[in-house]
Amino acid sequence: MPDDASVTRVSLEAAAREDSVDLLHTLVASLWEGSPDVAMIDRIRFETAVIEVMANIVEHAYAIDGEGVTGRRFDVSLLADPTSLVATFADDGRPCEIDLSTVSMPGYDAESGRGLALASAAVDDLAYHRDGVINHWSITCRRQP
Amino acid sequence: MIEFKVETTSRGIGVVTPVGRLNMVSARRLGEVVTELVGAGTNRIVVDMAQTDFMDSSGLGALIAGLKTTRQAGGDLRLACPTEQIQTVLELTNLNKVLRPRPTVEGAFDA
Repeated sequence: MPDDASVTRVSLEAAAREDSVDLLHTLVASLWEGSPDVAMIDRIRFETAVIEVMANIVEHAYAIDGEGVTGRRFDVSLLADPTSLVATFADDGRPCEIDLSTVSMPGYDAESGRGLALASAAVDDLAYHRDGVINHWSITCRRQP
Repeated sequence: MIEFKVETTSRGIGVVTPVGRLNMVSARRLGEVVTELVGAGTNRIVVDMAQTDFMDSSGLGALIAGLKTTRQAGGDLRLACPTEQIQTVLELTNLNKVLRPRPTVEGAFDA
């Protein structure tokens, strides 16, 4: 196990709204400040997946709420250690009905529907489970040696 | 957190430069910019990605929509100067075969 000095952890609780995406980009940037040796390709893979999962939470988990419902929030924690980058999300929106084991890239001319396929392709592991009324997403990206 | 610079070259090619992040907040604006250009008679458009810090799947969707809009008008949409993150996203989604990025804005419509 890495010692605490080699682990960077950052977290955020934010409104489940589109405009929270900039807060998440800032959080990712703070992870790199704490772990400046992470390779560019690992940063790209990880941030791409993190943003797609947040977009999925905002667009789908709360889609049924409609206009006028406010106050929905999500939690996200990011961790960098010497071998991996890990993100965990929690939200109390609707259950995800997509089977991640069968998610696939849509056709070339599709204008949507690539988010989770892109996230899955970008990192080593993308997982989802529901615990009671809470959705849990996790992303793991093994760092280049 | 994004700005779209728009200009038309002396060859009648529209150049759209997204400055910032192209994501679920800003992607729809890119679609509007392309639609406005095509509506004004500019059906060949280069999207200069050199100053686009980050692109997500919403941004990709907007580029595909723009590609369709320009082709339906008899033109085309081409990408130029993608950053490493954008190049990675294009490869992971296999859209590098459709949105084949060009190394320069000036040469994007050559051949």
